[in-house]
Amino acid sequence: MADVFIVQIFFIVFRETLEAVIVVAVLLAFVKQSIGKNHPKLYKTLLKQIWIGAFLGVFICLVIGCAFIGAFYSLGKNIWGKSEELWEGIFCIIATVLITVMGIAMLRINKMQAKWRVKIARSLIQPPATRRERFKIGYLLKKYALFVLPFVTTLREGLEAVVFVGGVGITGHSARGFPLPVVCGLIAGIAVGTFMYYGGSAVSLQIFLCISTAILYLIAAGLFSRGIWFFETNTFNKKTGGDASENGSGPGSYDISKSVWHVNCCNPETDNGWDVFNALLGWQNSATYGSVISYNVYWLFLIIVMALIMFEEKKGHLPFCKNLKMRQLNPMYHIKGKKNNELNEAEQAALFKKAESNLNRRAEEMEKEEAAQQATQHEMNAIPAQH
Amino acid sequence: MKLSSCLSAVFMASVALAETHYYNWTAAWSNLNLDGVKERPVITCNGEFPWPEIRIKRGDRVVIQLHNDLGDQNTSIHFHGIFQHNQTSQDGVPMLTQCETPPGYSYTYNFTVEDQVGSFWYHSHSKGQYMDGMRGTFIIEDPDGYPYDYDEEVTLTISEWYHELVTPLTQSFLNRYNPTGAEPIPQNLLWNNTMNGTWTVEPDKTYLLRIINIGGFVSQYLWIQDHEFEVVAVDGVYVEKNVTEELYITVAQRYDVLIHTKNDTSTNYAFMQGFDLDMLDTTPKDLIQNATSYMVYDENADMPDEYLLEDGTEYLDDFYLVPLTPEKLLPEPDHVITVDVVMDNLGNGINYAFFNRTSYTAPKVPALASVFSAGDAADNQTIYGSNTDSIVLQKDEIVEIVLNNNDTGKHPFHLHGHVFQVVERGPTYFDEPGPVPYGTDGSEDYVAPDYPARRDTLYVRPQSYFRIRFKADNPGVWFFHCHIEWHLLQGLAIVLIEDPKGIQEFQTLDDAWYENCDAMGIQTEGNAAGNTEDYYDLKGENVQEKELPAGFTARGIVAMVFSCIAGVIGCITIFFYGMADIPNIEQRVMDDLHMESKDLLNDDDEDDELDRMDPAADSDKVDNVKENTSSQGSSNDQKLRH
Repeated sequence: MADVFIVQIFFIVFRETLEAVIVVAVLLAFVKQSIGKNHPKLYKTLLKQIWIGAFLGVFICLVIGCAFIGAFYSLGKNIWGKSEELWEGIFCIIATVLITVMGIAMLRINKMQAKWRVKIARSLIQPPATRRERFKIGYLLKKYALFVLPFVTTLREGLEAVVFVGGVGITGHSARGFPLPVVCGLIAGIAVGTFMYYGGSAVSLQIFLCISTAILYLIAAGLFSRGIWFFETNTFNKKTGGDASENGSGPGSYDISKSVWHVNCCNPETDNGWDVFNALLGWQNSATYGSVISYNVYWLFLIIVMALIMFEEKKGHLPFCKNLKMRQLNPMYHIKGKKNNELNEAEQAALFKKAESNLNRRAEEMEKEEAAQQATQHEMNAIPAQH
Repeated sequence: MKLSSCLSAVFMASVALAETHYYNWTAAWSNLNLDGVKERPVITCNGEFPWPEIRIKRGDRVVIQLHNDLGDQNTSIHFHGIFQHNQTSQDGVPMLTQCETPPGYSYTYNFTVEDQVGSFWYHSHSKGQYMDGMRGTFIIEDPDGYPYDYDEEVTLTISEWYHELVTPLTQSFLNRYNPTGAEPIPQNLLWNNTMNGTWTVEPDKTYLLRIINIGGFVSQYLWIQDHEFEVVAVDGVYVEKNVTEELYITVAQRYDVLIHTKNDTSTNYAFMQGFDLDMLDTTPKDLIQNATSYMVYDENADMPDEYLLEDGTEYLDDFYLVPLTPEKLLPEPDHVITVDVVMDNLGNGINYAFFNRTSYTAPKVPALASVFSAGDAADNQTIYGSNTDSIVLQKDEIVEIVLNNNDTGKHPFHLHGHVFQVVERGPTYFDEPGPVPYGTDGSEDYVAPDYPARRDTLYVRPQSYFRIRFKADNPGVWFFHCHIEWHLLQGLAIVLIEDPKGIQEFQTLDDAWYENCDAMGIQTEGNAAGNTEDYYDLKGENVQEKELPAGFTARGIVAMVFSCIAGVIGCITIFFYGMADIPNIEQRVMDDLHMESKDLLNDDDEDDELDRMDPAADSDKVDNVKENTSSQGSSNDQKLRH
């Protein structure tokens, strides 16, 4: 099973797809709400833009992903040579960091929806340009916002998936293990996303997101532990001259001084089935102090971070520091220096209003334009008739 | 006068040529460069190297006073292949037949070679020490003359050579960072203690070459360009002539061969030694796999290049050598000892070697001292310790050792105090998934040779087996062990306590023997644990390391439980967090969200102002103004509604 279906990859692709689907769904809903009835023609155009954007994004990231993985397999093996464990460890840690950072934010699907509404509004607020400006990039971006947004979204989610997949599965697995979980993840993500968004209530969506996030974090904790384990194995292999791993899971394949438990079976790297266990729960047949401690520390860290966020959400600041907020801990917050640029409700409402009117105005303009064009065409047609 | 001369003549005749050879040796360190590559400390004898050859006649007595001037190491000497009949105390095995001699002390070996002739050697039996140079050849001439004609006799030693000393090598070998028990890789092969040596020969002559592998690890292939070996003796046993192009010699094995030189003196020939690369864990790129020495007919002629045999050349299989004095296959054994060779790791992560799960661990009291002090209990093998793999053999019983090699390497096994009959040796089972022990490969119909080969060191093939037989007619404490020193250090040995009553009856330990133990502070009475009260109580005996912990121990379970709890609590937190209602979410999103939205609103105003100030602003102006009006209008609307 491990040969053709890498479980982590399925989950990551599934998850990223789900996010992309939700974004696209939010867009569709917004457009429908705003102009669906009033301007069917523009609505159609925008719909087309959204779909083309979404699929183009998916397509491009698939291409990039394939190229990335292909290059990885054809070049990678030689580059890494003896320090394969080191690289596996590094990739595990990178993937852990990515999942950790993305995961919590994604839990707040409500936030995400609101966020997207604002983004859309903002992009639509830009005015149509004069004729001679029509081919300027800035203008094009604005005009085709509903193409660009889903395109960028799917591309971003897709590239994230590529990086995750790379981090998770790239080493120790054969290239054969990629296509199937990727396809399954895509299908499952689209199906669930569609069903959840249109069919289910917000609560069931939330529960579902919680479950998938929990699984994602189980994977991340396992990855973190595994990354540390790989570093230790790398050290051990360096000291043993790199021939310990050839022993499989038997005596001598691990460092007894660092061993917490060791069973001569169930090796996730060689024994079928256990790799799934390893992928989802971070199972190791040869656990070390490093791998066990890192697993627990990771969860501890995560729990603390979530607790802090929840505290801040309730009280408006971090515990014991009245003037400190979570995002102030992020260095980027200070670099960007946008502490006081917050929209109040009225402004926000104004923004939406503006976007909506903008959109409607565009629709009108478009209709006018078309009417004018039609008129011109009539004239053109009429001219030969006069002769 | 006449009488006395008469008497002395009689005396001379009766003792035949019995002579006593005295040696006074001091073992010490000197820096030497044997292979022409690296100088390193080497154990020398009286400041010289190589160690002198002992050359005696059958029946002679050898007396060696050995002074240990090594400073940091104990020492001992074992005379390899010598039966030491009724003088087992001279066999030189630490903690079995004697105590080691500590630095600054001397010990005298004194023994007679009763009925043996041929090529032997001597070496330290202390912890791989002889690989640092403490070894020499021991030739016993036949008073009846060599059974084959030759013109000249030459002794040739071969061995591997390390650039590092045995002690540091052992530290990294018996180390948890060497979990596969990979033996240190030697740097070079020595040929008479040098590299690229020369052997000047005369044309059309027959040479008797006594080839002795005095190494501690690798077996070697030997061949000479355009010359053949006629094997005439192995391990001190004459055999019927056997011609071969190539020899395979494990450590401690000896081959006497006749080489007939060519008539033509114009060319010199390559005398080649090849590593048995299968024994090396890895083959370093810069390893000279085949060492070239020179058989020189004409010193002015060019020296030959490396000469390789064609692929598929087969070396002599010593199993088929027929002793010149045939000895009928011994009858069915009274005592069968079946041992399985296993290499495995113990609880400290170090790779050890085992005979039946026991890794030889030296007793606290030399086994021979236990024999003498135990009285009637000496007959019970329990007293020799549970971790020494000691087996008591009864007088004159026929013993068969069935050795199954569960390891994938070749191992040369050596039995002290005997030559044994080679009853059977299984083929290589290298490609089989697991070892093929004796009796499982469908060779029930196997018929042993009527007159089997006899020797004292025999290799077993990978994952295969051998059967050897001997008669327990030499009372003594005899070691049976792998002669690869690394494996002996790993504990690949058993002890045969042969006819303990016979030892008590016919042998003694002299004062010097006891003094030697006193110098080491070693007890000379009691069982393996040093218990003199109850010989069956082995409490406190030396034992091997504990087994590796199996699977989940207490700490493993604790770790597992903690990890599970952490995971579960983590997931619960995620749910709690994910499902939690957040107050004024929209506000928060806007906080999180880019203030660019606000900027945008402001920007418009700024643009507006800019536009007014700069009349040359581009045509966006018009649109912006229009836009502004509408947006301001709508925000005004908004405000009004509130």
